[in-house]
Amino acid sequence: MIDRQLADWRNHALNLESEVNKVVVGQQNPIRLITTSIFARGHVLLEGDVGVGKTTLLRAFTRGIGGGYQRIEGTIDLMPNDLVYHTYLGEDGKPHVSPGPLLMSGENLSVFFFNEINRARPQVHSLLLRVMAERSLSAFNTEHYFPHMIVFADRNQVEKEETFEIPSAARDRFMMEIPIVVPNDNDIMEALVFDTKFHNVDALVNNVKPDVLQFDELNAFSSVLQNSVDTSDTLKKYALNLWKATKAPLDYGVKVSGVDMNRLVLSGASPRGMSMMLRAARVNAWLNERTAVLPEDIHAVFHATVAHRLVFSPVYEMRRTEIAREMLNGIMNAVAAP
Amino acid sequence: MTQFIRFFYILVSFSALALTAQSAYAIDSQNLPDINPKYVSMKSIDPVRLVGYTVGDVIEREVILTVKAPYKLIETSLPIPGYEKRHKGQVIGIELKSIQHTKKVDDNSTTHHIKLAYQVFTNNIVAKNAALGPEYLNLVNLKNNQDVVKFRIPTVDIAISPIAIFGQVKIENNMSPFLGPLPLKNDKEENWLKLSLSFLILSTLGLLYILGMRAWLPRMGGTFAKVYRALRKQEKSTQGLKESVALVHTGLSTTANFTVFSNNLEQFLALKPNFIGLRLELEQFFNLSRRINFEPKYLDPAASFDTDVNAQLWVIKFARRCRDCERGLIPEKLATTSMKPGL
Repeated sequence: MIDRQLADWRNHALNLESEVNKVVVGQQNPIRLITTSIFARGHVLLEGDVGVGKTTLLRAFTRGIGGGYQRIEGTIDLMPNDLVYHTYLGEDGKPHVSPGPLLMSGENLSVFFFNEINRARPQVHSLLLRVMAERSLSAFNTEHYFPHMIVFADRNQVEKEETFEIPSAARDRFMMEIPIVVPNDNDIMEALVFDTKFHNVDALVNNVKPDVLQFDELNAFSSVLQNSVDTSDTLKKYALNLWKATKAPLDYGVKVSGVDMNRLVLSGASPRGMSMMLRAARVNAWLNERTAVLPEDIHAVFHATVAHRLVFSPVYEMRRTEIAREMLNGIMNAVAAP
Repeated sequence: MTQFIRFFYILVSFSALALTAQSAYAIDSQNLPDINPKYVSMKSIDPVRLVGYTVGDVIEREVILTVKAPYKLIETSLPIPGYEKRHKGQVIGIELKSIQHTKKVDDNSTTHHIKLAYQVFTNNIVAKNAALGPEYLNLVNLKNNQDVVKFRIPTVDIAISPIAIFGQVKIENNMSPFLGPLPLKNDKEENWLKLSLSFLILSTLGLLYILGMRAWLPRMGGTFAKVYRALRKQEKSTQGLKESVALVHTGLSTTANFTVFSNNLEQFLALKPNFIGLRLELEQFFNLSRRINFEPKYLDPAASFDTDVNAQLWVIKFARRCRDCERGLIPEKLATTSMKPGL
């Protein structure tokens, strides 16, 4: 019974991937990672240059997941209450209060899309931390729950003016940080420029078949999935060694060129981060029709789930993306399994 | 005056005595009786070439003579260099050029090494026979001074060749029973022999290199050589299989200098092209490792084992093939990709 359920949902997941791949080309790996995150019930942060398709990608997924969808744009003057409610003078001349994007869909909120999150103030980040961690919010003397909500956020990696760096505690709430880069394939690049179907994003996203997944069953299925995919003792030992290596890479002989490894890492991956990595690895194993997690499943999600959780010395923060990539590659090369 | 006469008388007396003593040994050796053969033994190292000598050539022979007690060689009877040899009154034209004598005295015998070098001082327009020796040595019985005997060192017959043929020579007259067979050129055979011996030595070394269990030749101490040795010592059991798989994983990672997984196998093969021939087996090994270490329910559709012991035997065989690749050898192609260890 469970096997059939797993197989049915796998078909849905692959179908969703296929739908998104139709409209967002050359991004198979990010699409696989986002699919993984959806089934692992984790929030996703996309990072990339301007105009590479981050927003389009998230909108396409949102359409496929179904359920309530709310979106907010990160701006420097955005305040936390803007997420909860907004006030206006009605036609009757009296002040009115209407729910903000977080409350508008109620419990059916499945995707909260925060565009350009790093333009929002730390106060907004703070509110978001709670919503992401607890999937609940206190407002108007009531506790509001969003059990099916996943936060999709993106940020511009290059532009730093009028932006606020997302603190490490906020980054840690995201299951994955996925870099989006322009595909290298000439045919895809040509299509992105010359194919008119890519000119109208709204029409493009509407090509995705809506409600491929049943958003309100994802939590229950995710629980089934996590309990169905095994982790052997060898794999547990391997994952623990990976974790230790993120804290003390030198102990595993990991070096990064041009970096003083004794000073680099202030904090390795958190327990929550490693737990999220294992959840994502289980989903990857399931998507590949495996009944247990292999090291390859961990590798598939290792960068996306761990890199943004590492806390480096401030002197290395400006190069965090390349340093994190090189360090995590070194860890995967150095830690053996079995 | 009287003293002078007395001194002269004494001098004459001693001279007479000395001459008498000398005459006792200076007697003609050939007239002495032969020594009883049981008291003497002789070996000689004669020249290999017995023909083709001509004027000026030096011919060497060595005589090793062992004289048993109570007889002793009278060393003054050793042949004297420069002494002319005659045959039937005629000078034969071969002279002893030099003699080297050493001896080793034991309790009951004395061994004499006598090296004789003869020089040819004759020539002829046709080949003629000649001989080195004979030489006669005198021996005295130490228990009885009167018992003086001789020992004859036998001759070595040789043939003297003309420097140049003068005039017409009748072959029949030049025929000699001592003429050896004409030497054949054996360079070709020698070369073949050397080549074959070299090949044999190299093949033997190669075989030892392949089958060797110890790191006594270059590159024998390679990672997979060690892994293979360790695998053969593993207990044949389920636990042994798990440890064997772990050892091979370690070998692969050490060889690559990074941890090799099934998802970076191509990177490993690009870095170590010696292993390309084992691509299929590497994939099978990772599938086996997957079942052993991570996913017990997994069954490799390409191959499976009856028992864990069979799987372990296959791992040992696989490690040996990895060792061959490591040494730059090309492992033999398998007819099938069967995982049965015997194949």
